[in-house]
Amino acid sequence: MRPAIEPGDWLLVDPTIQRWPRRGSVVVFREPDGETLAIKRVAAGPGDRVPFADGHLELAEDEAWLLSDATAEATTAAGHGPPVDSRRYGPVPLELLVGRAWFRYAPIGRIGRIRARDVGPGWDALEPFGRG
Amino acid sequence: MSRLTRWLAPNATAHAHCDLPCGVYDPEQARIEAESCFRIMEKYQANTDETFRARAIGIKEERAELVKHHLDVLWHDYFKPEHVEKVPNLHELFWSATKAASRVKASVDPADGQKLLDAINDIDAAWKATGGLEKTRVAGRPG
Repeated sequence: MRPAIEPGDWLLVDPTIQRWPRRGSVVVFREPDGETLAIKRVAAGPGDRVPFADGHLELAEDEAWLLSDATAEATTAAGHGPPVDSRRYGPVPLELLVGRAWFRYAPIGRIGRIRARDVGPGWDALEPFGRG
Repeated sequence: MSRLTRWLAPNATAHAHCDLPCGVYDPEQARIEAESCFRIMEKYQANTDETFRARAIGIKEERAELVKHHLDVLWHDYFKPEHVEKVPNLHELFWSATKAASRVKASVDPADGQKLLDAINDIDAAWKATGGLEKTRVAGRPG
């Protein structure tokens, strides 16, 4: 999620939200296939269609498609595997949402709001990887 | 950390990881290699032929190394910090098991082989207690 979120950032997370925030928001949630606490960006929300397999997946009214800001090329170049996000574990249901990360309060040099973004660099086609 | 910093610090850590976990972690791999070692040690005791014994030791060395590898992958990639809360002696279990695997390399006594199997059973229990069976093993195995 760099450079928007750097390791060690301390974030304020709004836990009161009752539905998926708008596209581009940064959210904290439990991953569907392991329940790790994770942080990604909302790429698509309920009712949206995302490219999937040979067609499209239409998100249910409580689902969101959450993506890393990184492209697969960038993570491979850094020596990691592909990003672990909805391309790996599919849509995320609302019950796994913890909150919206809206403010960074540390480190001091990075204090400020966490901006929503319409689209991330790797999101053009929202291509899924399929399950590895 | 000062009191103020401790009060200000977050109470949870979120991950933005970009690794590729395989999603399948099973102590069975380590156990199969350990069973192999155990049988080799039994056969070693039952056979006095020099060549047979030399080959047995060679194979045992390889298989015990695989035990250590599979245990290592399980330890690093499957088990997470929240699991340690559930199984507080988790790291000790792995330390004991890998030491038992090293012992198996150096020994031809099946009792040492059994100790390794027992250590892996403890890890299997920890794996099951943390949901490994449901979360990572693929359903539909033959019985």
